[in-house]
This record gives sequence, C-alpha cells and structure tokens, in this order.
Amino acid sequence: MRVAQYLITLFVLLSLNFFLPRMMPGDPLSYLLGDPSTDAPILLTEEMRENLLEYYGLNKPLAEQYKDYLLGLARGDLGWSIYYNAPVSSLLLGRLKWTLFLSGTAAVIYITLGILLGAFSARKRGTKTDVGLLVSVFSLGSWPPFFLGMLLIIFFSFKLDAFPIGGAQSPGAAQAGGFERVKDVLHHWFLPCLSLVLTHLPGIYLLTRNSMLGVLGEDYVRTARSKGIREHRVLLRHALPNALLPIVTTIAMRFGFMIMGTMFVEVVFAYPGMGTLIYQAGAARDYPLLQGGFLLTMAFVVFFNLAADLLYARLDPRVRRA
Amino acid sequence: MSRLLGAIRGQKLALVGLAVLAFFGLLAVFAPWLSPHDPEEMDAPMLPPTGSHPLGTNDIGQDILSELFYGARFSLLVGFLSAGISTVIGVVLGVISGYYDRLGFTIMRVVDVFLAVPRFPMMVFLAAFLRPGLWTLVLFFVLFGWTRTTRLVRSQILSERNNGYVEAARMVGASDFRIIGRHLLPSTVPIALVRLIVEFQHVILAESGLSFLGLGDPTVKSWGTMLHYAFGYPTIFISDVWVWWAVPPGVCLTLVVLALTFTGFSLEERANPRLRRAWKRGRITDTPEHGEERDGAKSVRLPSKIHAVRPRTTT
Amino acid sequence: MRIIKKKQAMSTLLALLLVCLLAGCNSAPTPTATSVPAAPTSASALEPTSTPAPPPAPEPVALTLPGDDWGYPSPFAFYSRGPGYLRMSFIFDTLTWKDEEGVIPWLADNWDVSEDGTEWIFTLHSGVAWHDGEPLTAEDVAFTFDYLKEHQESFQWSWPVDKVARTEIVDERTVTLYLTEPIAGCHVDLVGSVPIIPKHVWENVEDPAKFTAEEAVIGTGPFKLVEYSKEEARYIYGANADYFKGSPAVDTLTFIKVENEALALETGTTDYASFWGKEIEAVQAFEDNENYGIIGGPSFWVLQMIFNTQKTPFDDVELRRAVAHAIDREEIVEQVTHGGAIVASLGIISPFTDWHNPNLPVYEYDPAKAKAMLEDLGVTDLNLMLITTSGFAREAELVQADLAEIGIEVEVQTGDRSTIDGLLREGNFDLAINGHGGIANPAILRTPTWPAESYSNDEYDQLYQQQASTVDEEARRELVWQLQAIIAEDLPVLTLWHPKMWTVYDASKLDTWFYTKGGVGLGIPIAMNKLIFLER
Repeated sequence: MRVAQYLITLFVLLSLNFFLPRMMPGDPLSYLLGDPSTDAPILLTEEMRENLLEYYGLNKPLAEQYKDYLLGLARGDLGWSIYYNAPVSSLLLGRLKWTLFLSGTAAVIYITLGILLGAFSARKRGTKTDVGLLVSVFSLGSWPPFFLGMLLIIFFSFKLDAFPIGGAQSPGAAQAGGFERVKDVLHHWFLPCLSLVLTHLPGIYLLTRNSMLGVLGEDYVRTARSKGIREHRVLLRHALPNALLPIVTTIAMRFGFMIMGTMFVEVVFAYPGMGTLIYQAGAARDYPLLQGGFLLTMAFVVFFNLAADLLYARLDPRVRRA
Repeated sequence: MSRLLGAIRGQKLALVGLAVLAFFGLLAVFAPWLSPHDPEEMDAPMLPPTGSHPLGTNDIGQDILSELFYGARFSLLVGFLSAGISTVIGVVLGVISGYYDRLGFTIMRVVDVFLAVPRFPMMVFLAAFLRPGLWTLVLFFVLFGWTRTTRLVRSQILSERNNGYVEAARMVGASDFRIIGRHLLPSTVPIALVRLIVEFQHVILAESGLSFLGLGDPTVKSWGTMLHYAFGYPTIFISDVWVWWAVPPGVCLTLVVLALTFTGFSLEERANPRLRRAWKRGRITDTPEHGEERDGAKSVRLPSKIHAVRPRTTT
Repeated sequence: MRIIKKKQAMSTLLALLLVCLLAGCNSAPTPTATSVPAAPTSASALEPTSTPAPPPAPEPVALTLPGDDWGYPSPFAFYSRGPGYLRMSFIFDTLTWKDEEGVIPWLADNWDVSEDGTEWIFTLHSGVAWHDGEPLTAEDVAFTFDYLKEHQESFQWSWPVDKVARTEIVDERTVTLYLTEPIAGCHVDLVGSVPIIPKHVWENVEDPAKFTAEEAVIGTGPFKLVEYSKEEARYIYGANADYFKGSPAVDTLTFIKVENEALALETGTTDYASFWGKEIEAVQAFEDNENYGIIGGPSFWVLQMIFNTQKTPFDDVELRRAVAHAIDREEIVEQVTHGGAIVASLGIISPFTDWHNPNLPVYEYDPAKAKAMLEDLGVTDLNLMLITTSGFAREAELVQADLAEIGIEVEVQTGDRSTIDGLLREGNFDLAINGHGGIANPAILRTPTWPAESYSNDEYDQLYQQQASTVDEEARRELVWQLQAIIAEDLPVLTLWHPKMWTVYDASKLDTWFYTKGGVGLGIPIAMNKLIFLER
C-alpha cells in the first residue's frame, strides 16, 4: 500500500517535471542565440526561428511533446540537451559524480562530527562546555552559505594563496595520473567541503543533543548507571543507539536534498556539480536537461524518503514488532 | 504561556538572543531616523569609509550604512511574514490531517509533492508573472514552508488524539470542533513556536541567497541585494571593498540567525516532550568512581559487575 | 566520557593536520598548460645527419587563455552564442578575413564581383591543404555553400545563405557564387565568416549538429584541436606547422575556465583578459604594472532603453522626446559605469565606424523642459513598467529616479535573460533596458526581433531593404545615415551608452594583440583574431 502511494506521487511528480520548465517564461532559443554582451547578435528571421523550433521538437503541440517525454522515459532516453548539444544522460552522470563526491564526503564528516559533539554536549548539559560548544558550533554555522563561501575564497584563496579559487581540478591535472591528481582534487575540494560542513553541522549537532537529552532521562539509562556500568559504555552502548533512531530518518531525508542543497556552494566555488548544471539549464530554459536534472533530484528525494521510512521501521524494535 | 516565558527567562542564552533580535527590530523600525542619508541618494561611487559615510558608498554612490539599516526592514519583514503565515497554515493543516484520517492521507500526498518540487523554477516563474517585491517573495516562501510544520503537527496530533482527556471529551459529547479548538490546538503551540523560529531563520537565509543569485528584486534595499551587488562587483577580489560593503550585511544576517537560534533553543527544550521529561527530572547523574563521596555516601566498587551505591534518599 | 573526549581531540587534530598538509602542499597556484608536443616541424625531419648540432629549438610558446565551454568547435556544433565561433575559427578558414585595417584576402587570393552584384568569382590560394593532407579545391568551397543551404535548419547563423542561388566550379581554384540578389557587404559578412568545410568529410553527414567525430574538426586553419573537454570547459589547440600562411608563432593554445578573469591574469593562471564597461576599475589595477600591456578597443555594443511604441503611452513621439530630455545620460555613465563607457550615439551605429552619422539631433538633459512638454501633452499620473535583466538594474534605478522627478512613476521588474526576451517578444512592457552588439554593421539596424516587437515604420523598412542590397559603399552610407536620422528623430529607442573595451595581456608572453576593424567575423568585438597568433 505504501509503495502504491509513492507510485502515484511519482507520477504526479513526473508530470510536474515536464510542465514546470515550460512554465518558466521565455524559451530555449534566447540563450541558444548568444550572449548579447560578448558577440554579434544572431539575426534570426521568423522562418529561421520556426526551423530551429522544429529541429528541437519545440513546436509540436504540448500534448504530443508530453507523450514523447513519457515514452522516452520508458525507454530510458532522457533526451538531448539544447544548450550543451549533448545527450542529457551523459551530462547528468558527468556532473553527478562531483556532487556526490562533495556532498557525500561533507555529509560523512558533519554527521560524524555532529553526532559526537552532540552526544558530548548532551552529557555535559548546562555546563560551560555545553554552552561553549553550542555557541561555537552555531557561530560557525549560521553564516549564509554563499557568504561563508565567498569569505573563504577571499581569505584562503586570494589573500593567503593557499587554495584555488574554484573548480574541481586544475586544467591538465586530469592527465597527470595517480597521486598528483588525487592531491589536486583534494586541494580543490577542501574549501567547498569546509563550507558545507560548517553550514550543516549545527543541525545534526542540535538534533543529536536533544535526542540524547531525551534518552539520558529515560529509565533504562538510570538502570544501567545504577548497575555500575562505566559511563562511556552507558553513553555508547545504551544511550546513543536509541538517541540515533530519530536522527537516522532526518539524515536519510537530508541525503534526499543533497543535490539542490549544495547548489549555492557549487555556484560560489564554480564546482562542476549537478547544482550548477541545473542552475545553468534553468537560466537557458534547456527543457530536456531541466527535466532530466529534476527527475534525478526528485528520484533522490523519493528514494531517500522511502529509505528513511523503511529504515526506521527496521531499526525501531517497537515498530518492528507491530 | 507564562510557563513558556519562565522557561525563557531562566536561560541566559535565550536572553542574549532576544536582546539581539530586539536590537535589529528597533534598527528596522527606526531606520529612517537612524540613517545618516537617504539610501537612494547618490554621492560619489565606491567611496571608502569616511566621516559622512561611515561604511563608504556602494557602486552607485549610495550610503552603505543607511542601506544596512533599511535592509534590516526588508529582511526581517520578509522573514517574519513568511514564517508567520506558513506556520499558521502548517498548524491548521497539520491538525486537520492529524484528526481526520482520509483528509490526512490526501494532505500528506500533497506534502510529498511540495517537498519534491524544485524551488528554483518556481521562483523564476513567480518572479516573472507577479509584480516584483515583498509579497511575491512571501508567497514563494509560504508555498514551500508550510509542509514541514504540517508534518510535525500531524505527528503530534496523532499521538495526542488518543489521550485520555480527548476520549473523555468525546464521551461527554463535545463536538469535533470543540475538541480540536479547546484541547488539541493548544498542544501544538510549543511546536508551532519552534517552527516559527526555524522557518524565520530559513527564510532570512534563503532570501539572501535568492537575491545573491539575482532572483529577487534588485531594486529593493535588503541585505541580500547588498551582497548581490558587492560580490558581483568586478574588482571584488582585487580591492578591499568587500570589507566595508559585503561584511556588514553578512554579519547582520548571521547575527539575526544566531539570535533566533538561541531564542529557539530553550523553547525547543520545552516543546519537545522527551526533553521536558529530562529537564524535569533534574540533573543527570553519572556513575561514581570507586571511593568517591557523593551526597553523604561513599561508593565502593565490588569485584563483581554489580555495584552497590547508597545514595542519600531525598525527595 | 574520556573516550569521547579523546575521539574529539583526535578528530580535531586530524582536521588541523589535514589543513596544514593541504595548505602547505600548495606551491604556485598556476597550472601551466600541459605541454602538448607541437606538430613536428618539417625542418627537423629534413635535417641531414652530417651537419653540426642544430641550435636549440626555441622555447615552445604556450598561451593560456580564459574561457568557458562553447561547444565542440566543428562548424555546426559550436554554440552560436559567445566566442564559440572564434574557437571554431582557429581550425577553419574563410574566403576573406579581417585585420585592424579591414578586409584582407585569406583562402581566396582575390575576387571579382559582377556589375549587378549577384555574381562573385573567387580565386583560391594555391597549395592549401586540409589537416588530413588532402588539398583544398574549389569543389570544397562550392560544396560548403551548397551544404549550408541544404542544412539551414540545423544551425543558428544569420548569414544569408538562402540568398545564395547556386555555386559553380570554374576550375580547380576558381569558384563562382550566384546570389539571388545583391547583398551589401557580401565580401565581409557572408564570405568573410562562412567556414569552408571539406567535402570528403561532410558529404555523407546527415545531421551536422550532432556530428562530433574526430573528422569534424578537420579544417585548413592555423591550429588543430588537440583536446576538448566539455565537462571542464577546456580546449587545447596545437599549431598547424603546414599552415599556408606560415607556422603560427604560438605552439599551443589552451583555453580554461576561470571564475574571475582579472584574478586569473594577476596570478599568472592566464595570459590575457578582456574587460569592458563597468570593469574599468579592474583595468586600472593593471595600469601601473609594466609587465602588462593594455590596448583599448572600439566599442561595438550599445545599451538602450526601448519604448513600446505599439501601445499607449509611448505611441506618442512627443512623449518619447520628453522622456529623452528627462534622462540624464551623462549621470548614468558617471555613476553606474564609473567612466567605463561613453554616452551613446542616438542612431545606434557605433561612433567608431565609418557608418556613423555625426549629424544627429541632440536632446539635452532638461527636466524642466521635459515637465513642460508633459503638461502640454496633458499627461498626468503615468504608471509604467520597466523590464530589464538584473545586470542593468542600476541603470533602471537611475531611470526610475529621473522619471520620478518629472512625475512619472516607474516600476522596475527584473528577470533573467530568457524571461526578459520572452516579455519583449510578447510586447508585454512599457520600457525595456536591453543591450546588444554588432553595431559596427548596418545590418543590425533591422533585425527580425527588433524593432519588430516595439516599432513599425514602413519608410524605415524600405530604406533598410534598399541599403541591404546597395553594394556601392558611398551610396550605402547615404542610406545608412538616413536610417540613423530616423531613429534619432523618432526615438523608438533611447540609446544610453557604449562601453569602452580593453585587452590586458602578459607582455612577456605575446604582444601582438590588436582589435579587428569591425569585429572578428560577423562583428565579434574581442581581440581574438587568429592573426594575433601568426607571425606577421
């Protein structure tokens, strides 16, 4: 039944996917025809305009385009990007790997750090350590993500010359093999990752802390303590696993928003990920690419929502027994 | 309500937060009197900080400090309106979907759709077809802000509606309306307040982000548009202009978000029932060390896994 | 508790270590262009073994230039927007080309045109070969034009290929182009920008836009494509040593994507940067530095405010003139561009070209006069919508302020480019601030999109058609002047400014930069003419 619910939702989303890009005013032709700020404008006659629209299949009636879109999806064909003049699927894959790399690693870092710090803070609730930790984590993490990114660039890339301004790798580094390449990629990865970690850390930290607090007040913790079990064991073996339960679902849902969530950081650091791709495709009204990009984003969200539900059902023994 | 305020008064952090918020609120309200210049007035562009322009001038010669004060108005107003409206909608829908199952099912599907819809094209769409300005932004944020509140309120209602007092009310013959209004709605207040604060934070950050990308209304004075022009300036990296142009609005944004966090932090402790229990039970104890004196009793670790601790029995 | 503390300490230490490692690792941030072995010069292959050791080969000149992804540089796959054309122009040649003075022969040694302007005979330079060794013949030229005509719908050029009636091969080196009607400036616009493509590669290609195999970039040009990475927006070109105009002075050209051109130039990541208009302060940062050369270029761009004359209130020319008196264009140039632009010519055509009409009427900034004119017209309580892209929001703000002074309320709506284009086409606006290039070429005075959506004038259209087929330059100039006069008097648009342009370059790497007369190809204003990279 639950799966059926999601299927219906998916269908609605697929349709929205098709209509949303077309709802945006303008059409793919204006971006296709040049940036008026750097070159001679293309002088399009109405006839040429019609020709172009026909070439890209844009002048067919909407219902027919919709049908083509659904059929294409069923075949696994995501279409051809108007702006980049390449198959949508290859563009998406090429960019997805960078987004996954960046947000994946950042997620691992801030989740681990958040859980550790949150649990620690909960343990020390009310003390100076707790408040100090709270204030510092939030002071670092409340900056608007693009602002933090720009400041990091100005300080570390420009003033200190320690990191590159942007991009995922230096031109030419892709040819140099092995260790050189890894070093170069990490070098470019550091600042954007730092931005992401700082921005998302407070959320996980607070969640863990509150969840942990709730758990620490429970009877079974008291029991464990009065049994004489050492404190760190109490925390790690008894309290934390239960505290993590509600967090797991939140984290799983966070993963769902991974693609769009990194958009600001990607744009600021010119990181060639899905975020910048969708942003550019949006500006250019590249319908096929937008459809493909949104499809991927929605798939992520739906998948992780589903995973969150299922995971929770598995992990929570109370629900499992039911 | 008074208990809520009591909770806040007891926490120093929250006080600090409220103070900062009050400060910016006053700044926003009294901007016209506090600003040294009319923010639309144009002087020489790109002036560094001097006497008459404590923060210098921007790229078309407007006083940055005045922009900062007026910017508080827009940013805070958008945040407050959006958060307020979406929280109200969220609570109403949440209560309805929690109480009525069939409606609840449909509403939850709608929530799913809204959660997955990408915000970016919607923003472009709205911006193109509606008049630019405050209400377009508010509409956008409300459209995407009500979903999480609804979900949370719904779970709350789901657990509350089986409570004793609700059963009792039903047995006595109270109408649905009365049950919802008198009993269930008030229980959502703590969650609603927490969501209000979180949403406020989110909107302020998101508004600045949208303006930064150029999707907002660039002619309005907001902290986000200030950052948009500052970071978009061609010599942003080569000169030091960013220090007095980009840093102030960024810092203001951060301070407001921080202040909201501190205020909401203690509210959350009250709102979350599990936290409340822990809070009520007083300080969390830990396992004493061998030989440690505590509350007048000495702890002894026996060679087996079982310890005996004789705490002083008090109430 | 202790364990958690330890874990925390460890992770912080690890993080710190990582930071130091990465930060310290960094030496100079300059990624040098990968040294691609240049095509072996014919000289070294012919060296007899008995001669003494040859002098050390000169250091290969490698230039790194800023850019973005503009598509695969085949004649049909490059993005027609942006410098995509230029990327392609390094690989493919045209019949004629331009330098700083004007049109020069290129693939065609000389050409002749018939009396009525419909027959063009081109004699090709001898000994030109394609990158794969095949010789260039008249067949290729004829094939190029025929193929373009056949596949018109799959590319977005504005060259009047449909006006090419047919082609005729006279002999191996001579081709005749028959036009349906005379095209003014044919030798520059059409013939000077259409790339000649090899018949033996393209004759069996059905969908040229999607043909991206290696053969698609076989041209006659001074450079060969060594690498193109769409994902990383990188192009690497290697010199074609057998080029008919001589081996290029530059061995490797690399284009990489940079976020900030000024910064990239300053750190040595790139060897060149181009600036225009509001970026004047970036140029000033390089002015005092001897290592950099700066050249200023003519401006082929105009920012203008478009009146929607198809509906009230701007269907009244007197109102438009009143508004012209109310806008302080000097102030806009000062406050917004900080001296990076000049007040625009009211006739649109750039004052840096020979087509410019210097005798145009002037509307001095006089708000009192504007107000009086409004009163005379009986216009009160106007509430208008001004649309523009966010890049010109500042100009919009000033226009808004200026008009507010004479009692006209203006609401500014910004959007991204596609949105604004859409609104323009629908005629859904009162005022619009928009800009475009190509103003060195009179052809710009009537594009199908402008002034179509906001202005109609039969006399103007007729004049335009006339000049488009007037081959004689003097006669054509007459007509073009008249067109500009109409624009200045009737004011369908109020031009605002022409941006200044600069090229800043690393003088130690290459200093042969120049601005092409009339722009490269169809009028691309930046200094990326392939001539710059050749020995001159």
